[in-house]
Order: sequence, then structure tokens, then C-alpha cells
Amino acid sequence: MFSISQDFAPPFKLISPFFILGSLFYLLSVIFLFFFSVDNLSMLDTKVLSFVHLFLLGFVMMTIFGAMAQLVPVVLEVGHFGVELFYAIWPLLAIGTIMMAFGFVGYPTLLPFGGTVVLIAMMIFVMEIFLTIKKVKKFNLVISSMLIANIFLFFGVIFGLVMALGYAGMVNIDINALLKGHVFLVIVGYIVVTIMGLSVVLLPMFGLSHGFSKKPLEISVALVSLAVISVVLSSLSGVALLGYGGYALASVGLLIYFYFIYTIHKTRARKEIDIYAKSLLFAYFSLIASLVLALVYLGIGYEPLLLASAWMMFFGFFAFVITGHMYKIIPFLVWFERFSPLVGKQKVPMLADMLPIKSSSAQLLFCALGVVVIAAAILLQEEVLLKAGASFLLMGALALVRNVFYMINYK
Amino acid sequence: MYTKEELFLAISTVIDPEVGFNLVEMGLIYDASCDEEGNAYVKMTLSTKACPMHQLIQQWVKEAVKKMAGIKSVEIDLVWEPEWNITMAEAHVKKALSR
Repeated sequence: MFSISQDFAPPFKLISPFFILGSLFYLLSVIFLFFFSVDNLSMLDTKVLSFVHLFLLGFVMMTIFGAMAQLVPVVLEVGHFGVELFYAIWPLLAIGTIMMAFGFVGYPTLLPFGGTVVLIAMMIFVMEIFLTIKKVKKFNLVISSMLIANIFLFFGVIFGLVMALGYAGMVNIDINALLKGHVFLVIVGYIVVTIMGLSVVLLPMFGLSHGFSKKPLEISVALVSLAVISVVLSSLSGVALLGYGGYALASVGLLIYFYFIYTIHKTRARKEIDIYAKSLLFAYFSLIASLVLALVYLGIGYEPLLLASAWMMFFGFFAFVITGHMYKIIPFLVWFERFSPLVGKQKVPMLADMLPIKSSSAQLLFCALGVVVIAAAILLQEEVLLKAGASFLLMGALALVRNVFYMINYK
Repeated sequence: MYTKEELFLAISTVIDPEVGFNLVEMGLIYDASCDEEGNAYVKMTLSTKACPMHQLIQQWVKEAVKKMAGIKSVEIDLVWEPEWNITMAEAHVKKALSR
């Protein structure tokens, strides 16, 4: 008999704060959009930096960390090293994120302190994952990508802390030189590689896909990882060619990854286009849009193209991959905790019954509209479109928060 | 003591809460037998190795068989060969999932 151990699946009360806080940070990030004007949209604007950290740390990292608490035993087939450590991660990450967000918009002395709190939260997470991976006897593609992603996160956070010290004037460093390395390590190295690695487990599981090759994913993870190393070396050495080589490798790697996702989609037995499938379709088309915009930017150097590319990557790809999975993971966790002991004793709901159908559709529609309209606003430098897109996103974000509470409180 | 069909009928009360079909119609139960002393054996698989409910599902199968009169023990043999695919499911499941 071949058995898989999930004996150490964490209790829901440990994971639920990650999802609740994640959705609230998403809402806060969307509210932040109303304070932007197309005139001051620039990669290094302090308001943009504050917004990006609020979104990436508060929403993206928070929900990924919560999901990893549940998924690590499933994916690695071993129990957590110390799952209780996750109780310390969410408060530290939340406090550090808020301090950093304020630090960028007018209180720079808060930055190193916020950065240190975030660093502690991330180091606890990274060390817990490393020590859990240490228990694994046989490595596979998913475990390798998780290990690579967490190594990138480790260095990315250190880059970030050094930069925070530089912003506060505590150390004398060239912040712009480190910026590329920090961005690539955390965003591409951690978030993208994590999504890539987990997609080979989660997408076929929910879509009942079989018979596809994993080779394209192996190639794409290798290319994207090399891209991160290349850009980091460029960031440290100042050799521009290494940076361009990294961008090219990342683009090719992500295109191959998109092809891999397409093969999973084509071989799925479950054809239903539910809220999960719709969210992922929008996410992966946003990924392609982001890549195209980035490549055009490299050709003509018009900065709004780069901003629109980052926007599609963050609010299109990351956000929709995450919200789509929230509609699968939260009902499962609630069902597991609340209804699985009742199986065979009384009628229990199916997982699909626990979803707020209309509200989740509203979230998807308003958020998708908001993402597209804001991308157009950035490209056309149009103030009215920016506010219109933010309004759509606000409706979607309110629906998301409502949906998270609905699923968590389902009885 | 019980035929394969009788055991399959008992196991068909176990429903996968994600897809909403029972394990037998999904084609996840490969074989089942029971000796005269009431020792049952079930050979089964899951739709994916990463199924987070794999322990629960095995427990439900055990409980479903144990409910049958005279059953003393149930051995679950969880296998990954042959690997499950949708062609193993019953026609109405395939039709419903492909909509």
C-alpha cells in the first residue's frame, strides 16, 4: 500500500486569519487607488511603493502563506516541522506591512522597523518551510520549485531590508541598483515560481486532468530561475546585458509555462467553467498581456507600458490566481473542520454548495472590469478611467471580503 | 460472505464532496472481496495523489463496509497503478463532468 501522510493538516483557526486579513488588505489596496493621479504614476513614486507593498505583502504574501500552511503537507507528503509557527506569522506580517506602507508615504523612519518585522515574519516562514522540506526523502518537481522559491524569498527579503535601511538614511547604498534584484527575487523568484510549482498539483486536481507532460514545467521553472539569478547578478554588478538576458529567459520561461497550463486545460475531464475556472482563465490571459506589455516596453521604453505590465501581473495574474483558489481552499477547510465529522450521520453539503454564487460572480466581473479599465487608464494616461476602474475594483473587493466571511461562517 | 457487487453497493454510499459523485461511479474502486470470516478487502485509488481528503475517504470506505452485517475487519489497499483517468468513470459521470 502506498500512503500519503497529511496527518498534520493545520486547524482552520490557524489558517483563517491569513485569508481574512488577505481579503481586507486587498480592499485597502483598492481604496488606495482613489488617491492616485495618472500624473504621479511612476515606478519609484513613494505612493506607488506604499501601494505595491500593501498589496504584495498584505494580500499576495498573506494569502500565499496561509494557503501554504494547508498545502505543504499535501504537496510535500510530510507533516509541517512546526505548524504553530504560523500563529506568529500573520500578526507580524500584518503589522510590518502597515508600518512599511506608512513608512513610504511620509514616515521613512518607520521603514526599517516595518521592514524588520516583515523580515522576521518571512524568516519564520522560510525556515519552517526549509525544515519541513528537510524531512522529505524523495524530491520531485513541486518540492524542488518550492525550495528554489523559498531560497529566492530569503535573499529577496534581505535585499529589501538593506533597501529599507537605505531609505531611512541608516546605511549608504545605491537603492536603485538593488531594486531590480529585490523585485525579481521576490516577485518572479518567489511568487511566480511558487505559483508555477503548485499549479502542477492544484490545477489537475480540481480539473481532473490526466495524461499531460510535466516536461514544459520543468523547463519553464529552470528558465525562470536562471532569469532571476541573471537579473540579481546584473543588479549587483551593473552589467546591463545580464539584466536583458534575464528578461529574455523569464519571457521564454513564462510562455512555456503558459503552454503547460494550456495542456492541463485541454486534458481536463471536468469541463465546467465555474468561478474557479473563470478566475484562472482571466489570470492566465492577464499573464500573457503583462508579458506582451513588458516586451513592448523593452522595445520603445515608454514607462506607462511597464506600469501597465506590472499592473496586469499583480492585479490580473496574481490576484485572480489567488482569489480563484480561495474559492476552492476556504470551502474545503471549512467543510473538513465542520462537516467531515458528520459524514454518514447526517446530510452534509457539497463543497460547491458553500460558495456564494451571485456574489462570487459579481466579484469576478467587477474586478476583471476594474483591472482592464485601469490598465487602459495607465496606458492612455486618462484620469477618469483610473477612477472608473478603481470604482469597479472597489465593488469587486467588497464582494471578495463578503465572500470570504460567507464561506468561513457557512453552517 | 459478500460478493464484489454487494461490497461495491455499500461503498457507493461514499460521495466525493468535491465532484458530488460516489466513488464507485467515479471508477475509483478497483476491486473488493470478503472471506467467510468477514474480513473484507478493498482495492482502490484516488483521482490524484495530492488529494487532501485521502485519509478521510479511506476511513469513509472502511465505515461503509463495516456497516454490513458480519464484517469483522476491512483492509484498504490504496494503489496508483493503474492510474485513474476519466475513462474509468461511468458514462453518466463523464457526461455530467464534460458539460
